[in-house]
Amino acid sequence: MSWNFETEHFLIRLPVSDEDGTALFKLLSQNSAVAHIPRLPMTVEAQALDELRRIAMRFETREAAFWLIERKSDGDVIARIGIQYINWMMLNAQLQWELSAECGLEELQEVLPVIVNYLSQDLHLHRLEMRLRTGSDGQSKLLTALGFSCEGTLPSQQEFEGEDIDLDVYSLLTGELKA
Amino acid sequence: MKFTPELEIPGGCIKPLHYDDIDGLFELYKHPEIPGQRPLEDKEQLNRMIDYSVQMAATQRGMMWAIETEGQIKGMVSGFDWQPSNLRIVMRVDGLPALTVEERAGALKAAIGFLSKKYHVRNFAYQWIEGQSDDIKVALSECGFTLAARLRDGWRTGNTEFSDVEQYHWVSSDDKPVPRKLGDDDELGQNLNANKRGES
Repeated sequence: MSWNFETEHFLIRLPVSDEDGTALFKLLSQNSAVAHIPRLPMTVEAQALDELRRIAMRFETREAAFWLIERKSDGDVIARIGIQYINWMMLNAQLQWELSAECGLEELQEVLPVIVNYLSQDLHLHRLEMRLRTGSDGQSKLLTALGFSCEGTLPSQQEFEGEDIDLDVYSLLTGELKA
Repeated sequence: MKFTPELEIPGGCIKPLHYDDIDGLFELYKHPEIPGQRPLEDKEQLNRMIDYSVQMAATQRGMMWAIETEGQIKGMVSGFDWQPSNLRIVMRVDGLPALTVEERAGALKAAIGFLSKKYHVRNFAYQWIEGQSDDIKVALSECGFTLAARLRDGWRTGNTEFSDVEQYHWVSSDDKPVPRKLGDDDELGQNLNANKRGES
């Protein structure tokens, strides 16, 4: 079973721990890529190497899988998309993405169907959920355009920079993706 | 060591799970309220669950109480998916048909009061699963919970069957605890029998 895929313009691939540090740091050091989670942007490249090692371990135990979206034309990594908190009993998982400014709806409509089809047809996951910091309007519009439904807001889910953070819940069930 | 206290509720108490109550707990598990959950067939499995209940409380993963009124075990109230650093937990009540809405609400309030005061938990969630009794929502409302989200197909009831989950929350308005210097806390390990420095 291969976890690496390809579309017309992109490689959708699992990261390589000792090769992708610079590209991942470039992506995750942008506040706009992580503010919706919310998480602080990375400040030193060693954090990206730690993250790659952590993700590799989580993948080995099938706790999570994160794919880098690499543009074929120039080799740039324009996004990372992954699933975590996989519940094999309930057949659901949480989706998370970090998008650069070069990854918008058009790019997502090309790569997300491949990932979602794999999750539903090969892994038999029925429900994908994404949680966004309330007020993440740009991300919210993307999710809605892709077929996700907003299900409500969970209050005070974490403390971040001294604030209590509410998270909006979006979900996509099998067959609902708009591509 | 003791981590789970016995607490009074109107008409009875909630109390730590004990091996002496296995018959009552077995009766409860023979009548699951949650859609898709099968009745328990092997009473011996409850011995392990009681062991787990102690371990969960000791490591702040969860806490489980039996609900006893009129001298009978009528249900359980539990906290699980406890995230101490985020001061939140998910609550759950399992009851026999004889458990009244008032008893359900009383048990929930007592457990929440303890977790709030002792462990400073502020955010309590409750997941009502489509197919469960609407009376549970009445008890939740009585405790101040409000609906936050409806998770479509959030609960699997069969191979390809799912139910929606309504997620309710009650968030305390109490001030958050102020962190003290590590090691200066007298409440060692949250053990209810060792709340003074030097005792174990």
